Amino acid sequence: MNNATIEASNLSKSFGEKQVLRDISFGVSPGDVIGVLGKNGAGKTTLLELVLGFTAPTAGEVRVFGHQSYNLPGQTKARVGFVPQQDELLDQLSVADQLRVIASFYPRWDAEMIARLCADWSVDLKARVKAMSVGERQKLSILLAFGHSPELLILDEPVASLDPIARRQFLEQLLTLSADGQRAIVFSSHIVSDVERLANRIWILKEGRLDWQGDLDSLKESIVRLHIRGAGSELPELTIPGVLTVQREGAFATAVVRDWTPEAHQALEKSASVQIEVEPLGLEEIFVELHR
Amino acid sequence: MFILNSQSGIPIYRQILDQVRRMVASGQLKPGMALPSVRDLALRHTINPMTISRAYSILETEGLLERNRGRPMTVASQSRNHSQLPKRLLQIEPLVKQTVMAAKQLQLSEAELVKAIRREWEQSDE
Repeated sequence: MNNATIEASNLSKSFGEKQVLRDISFGVSPGDVIGVLGKNGAGKTTLLELVLGFTAPTAGEVRVFGHQSYNLPGQTKARVGFVPQQDELLDQLSVADQLRVIASFYPRWDAEMIARLCADWSVDLKARVKAMSVGERQKLSILLAFGHSPELLILDEPVASLDPIARRQFLEQLLTLSADGQRAIVFSSHIVSDVERLANRIWILKEGRLDWQGDLDSLKESIVRLHIRGAGSELPELTIPGVLTVQREGAFATAVVRDWTPEAHQALEKSASVQIEVEPLGLEEIFVELHR
Repeated sequence: MFILNSQSGIPIYRQILDQVRRMVASGQLKPGMALPSVRDLALRHTINPMTISRAYSILETEGLLERNRGRPMTVASQSRNHSQLPKRLLQIEPLVKQTVMAAKQLQLSEAELVKAIRREWEQSDE
């Protein structure tokens, strides 16, 4: 037995005629924090739902703690926490009652941590769920997913409605949870700067495929913008390996490339007798460049 | 002690590598001095702890840092990190490269660039 938290192989999912995910494989280990990026409709929510076992794959399989995800035994389910995009709170309850209901499902509920977080995040225990703002509801759904100290935490757009201060508190709490290296966190977000802080690995979904998966550090080293300068007044014809986009102007060219390496750099400088300056790109720019 | 920018295109682990190497080379970090723990740094800067561990491991392999059981990592006492000149020069190479490229774009001569550097050097000594 290995101790992989999630193992997915050749996952595909169709709804009727429409294929949403194609041939996706990945592994998640304890300690990983995975940021899932993708345009609207890229398949992020469907992918998370497959991992959670809310729906069965059309092909391939995904295992969570060694079990088929859509057939997860009860005690394995208790090791997973989930924050859905649309909260599933009970409107008629107070915050305290809502917490009590969820806590009653879990023998390992950490009431002390939740009480502390409620105070830190200014969550009013007496408030009626019905009367709460979207942001307050989001905070409460996050608390409900944290309370049983899950070993796998899955969050689908958890912070879309939180203000910057609440988001930062949430990020700090996630880091605290992940710092012991025992837990895995998978979260999707359009707030790229949060993903950049929190994640050590990135999945970029594009039209139902995993267009890129790997360390955030390697992503930033491999997708870069090159500023190329020729010796003469006209730049020679260039074959740039891994080129995504290129713009030429006289003796200059600007190109965005993937899979860039120091070796590729030296080889191109030598073969085309040009000078290359590498401009590193932030995650948001990388994301945009991959979608041009 | 570190200036870390998670939104920069330069990965966090590289930012840490560069800063520790520079601080050790310049003597700001002296042998035996303790570095902040991975957990403290992660929480203080709100960044993923794995990227910090990665930087520390690389620095350990390079002989710059020493791992101590149950205690924070420290700057290695070896004389080898009393960086020899070539190693320190290597640190500044990217900046030199950039400056030279900028000078060429501005069509400055080598002599003019050297003169400008000398002037800056003397001014910062005053």
